[in-house]
Amino acid sequence: MVITAVSTVETVREKFPDAVVETVEFRNEQTIVLKPEHLVKVCTHLKGKLQYDMLETVTAVDWLERVPRFDVVYQLLSLPHRCFVRVKVRVGLRGEEHPALPSVTGLWPGANWYEREVYDLFGIVFTDHPQLVRILMPTDWTTHPLRKDYPLSGFDLPEPHWGGQIPYDTDPGVGGTYQQTLRTSEGRELNESRSQVNPQQEPGTSKRG
Amino acid sequence: MARQEIKSAPEQGRTYTIEENELLDDGQRSDTMTINMGPQHPSTHGVLRLILTIEGETVLKAVPDIGFLHTGIEKTAEAKSYHQALVLTDRMDYLAPLSNNLAYSLAVERLLGIDDEINDKIKYVRVILVELQRIASHLVWLGTSALDLGAMSMFLYCFREREMILDVFELISGVRMMTSYICPGGLQAELPPGFDAKVREFTQIFPERLQEYHDLLTNNQLFLERTKGICVLSREDAIAYGATGAVLRGSGEPWDIRKVYPYSGYEQFAFDIPVGSNGDVYDRYLVRMLEMEQSLRIINQALDGLPTGSYRVQNTKIVPPPKWQITGSMEALIHHFKLFTEGYRPPKGEVFVRTESPKGELAFYIVSDGSAKPYRMHVRGACFANLQVLPRMVEGTFLSDVIAGIGSIDIVLGEVDR
Repeated sequence: MVITAVSTVETVREKFPDAVVETVEFRNEQTIVLKPEHLVKVCTHLKGKLQYDMLETVTAVDWLERVPRFDVVYQLLSLPHRCFVRVKVRVGLRGEEHPALPSVTGLWPGANWYEREVYDLFGIVFTDHPQLVRILMPTDWTTHPLRKDYPLSGFDLPEPHWGGQIPYDTDPGVGGTYQQTLRTSEGRELNESRSQVNPQQEPGTSKRG
Repeated sequence: MARQEIKSAPEQGRTYTIEENELLDDGQRSDTMTINMGPQHPSTHGVLRLILTIEGETVLKAVPDIGFLHTGIEKTAEAKSYHQALVLTDRMDYLAPLSNNLAYSLAVERLLGIDDEINDKIKYVRVILVELQRIASHLVWLGTSALDLGAMSMFLYCFREREMILDVFELISGVRMMTSYICPGGLQAELPPGFDAKVREFTQIFPERLQEYHDLLTNNQLFLERTKGICVLSREDAIAYGATGAVLRGSGEPWDIRKVYPYSGYEQFAFDIPVGSNGDVYDRYLVRMLEMEQSLRIINQALDGLPTGSYRVQNTKIVPPPKWQITGSMEALIHHFKLFTEGYRPPKGEVFVRTESPKGELAFYIVSDGSAKPYRMHVRGACFANLQVLPRMVEGTFLSDVIAGIGSIDIVLGEVDR
């Protein structure tokens, strides 16, 4: 039996009529949009019966205004049949901070790092993932950079008082432990006086000398 | 009691299989040790950190820790126009910037729907350049991985030949590494005079140099002992973990995107895919060595058949009009202005375009919302997937073989972390 991307789409439509939201063809690439609850079932069929034995990548797209907010995209490749399809699920209800999806690491162990990356950069949680921790960002990072509401170049912080330093009670996105010891050129610590600092005061002219 | 439960598998040389539950949370094991390798270790080929649990010399568990070179290229690209995002791709796999350029350009061209406007001249030049780039990248791999195993002179020889390729890149683009020469819609500039001679000079010298490398390493007993039967990866594991490139082919799967989904005119050239059988370090070494020969074959064919033609498409909505037109034609001036203030707007849609980069399958997933900036650009780098499979290779081998294993994957952390 020859399996092509088009025949795969038809098979999935026939076998799982409830699972398919829509199928899209653009530039000869087939996309199957699935309901999240049917993802693992359909993927098991794709891997087992249709020999999609390689998972090329898992990624996500953030459509900030849309509900559901995120597309999670799986690129599947069949080495024996030389064809590929894209499987997509839409997750993220309004106001849902961490949408959840079942993991496909049981089918393709290679999904492990890709799902960690999607969790890290988009904040989408994969249930029953063996080790869902951040992979690219530092482990104490608290936000998800590839979301569309994440600023491109730093956070919008209040006007700094001392020569461009970040106020030390403001969380720049790396958790509450962010603390800097600021010293003058003579080595005097500035930290304790920074809470009562007068923004009009010139740097280095503290009355305590 | 749990100490000697590591089962040897003599048919796979010096590798062992380990039960998963023996490795974790065993507080009783007294002589295991957890050590850090990297991120400043010279043989991790970049800022890769490996957390190794070892017992004596045997590696029980290896956990790669990545992200030290994360520069947010995917995020930055969302704020750039399609033409500006091109320069970001140079910085990913910095040993093969032209391959990245090509993959990105093909993706944008597919998105724009101008694939068939690309003429043969552009395709041939692109093929010549990415094959030169493949050789250059493989030379760095060969030099550094042989250096890790103690063959110091290889490093010097390989960089000597790589220098010739970088000279070609400097000739065409003025830049040795971050060329951005291949761009959506064609090439940045016309080929300079002397390009053909410069490339031929290299292709004539290189076969004997390649023979020198073979003489130095292929039958070298010291090299064989460090590579044969080391870090074996089965074909099934390679596929399951999404490993591509020489790692997959070394394990016996003849999978090369240039043959399977030919792009940029690869179907017009005759070349073979070297395939290994054992999936060990030596097979991956041989696959890459033979690939360089095949690249040379492709370059020679492309140079002999290099057609004449324009170096970019004629569609002035996508590439700027020539300078002489701008001074004389209002329309050309408007096109030029629109291109550089705003850029072009591909239709809504998404494409996933894969190419065979020196490291393996490099694919770009670009989503367009109809604006002049990519709504989302995801890079499926080969190194990311290939590095993920490293624990499967090295667990159960000796500590010194980890170094051979990392070298044989040929990672570039710029592409892993992006």
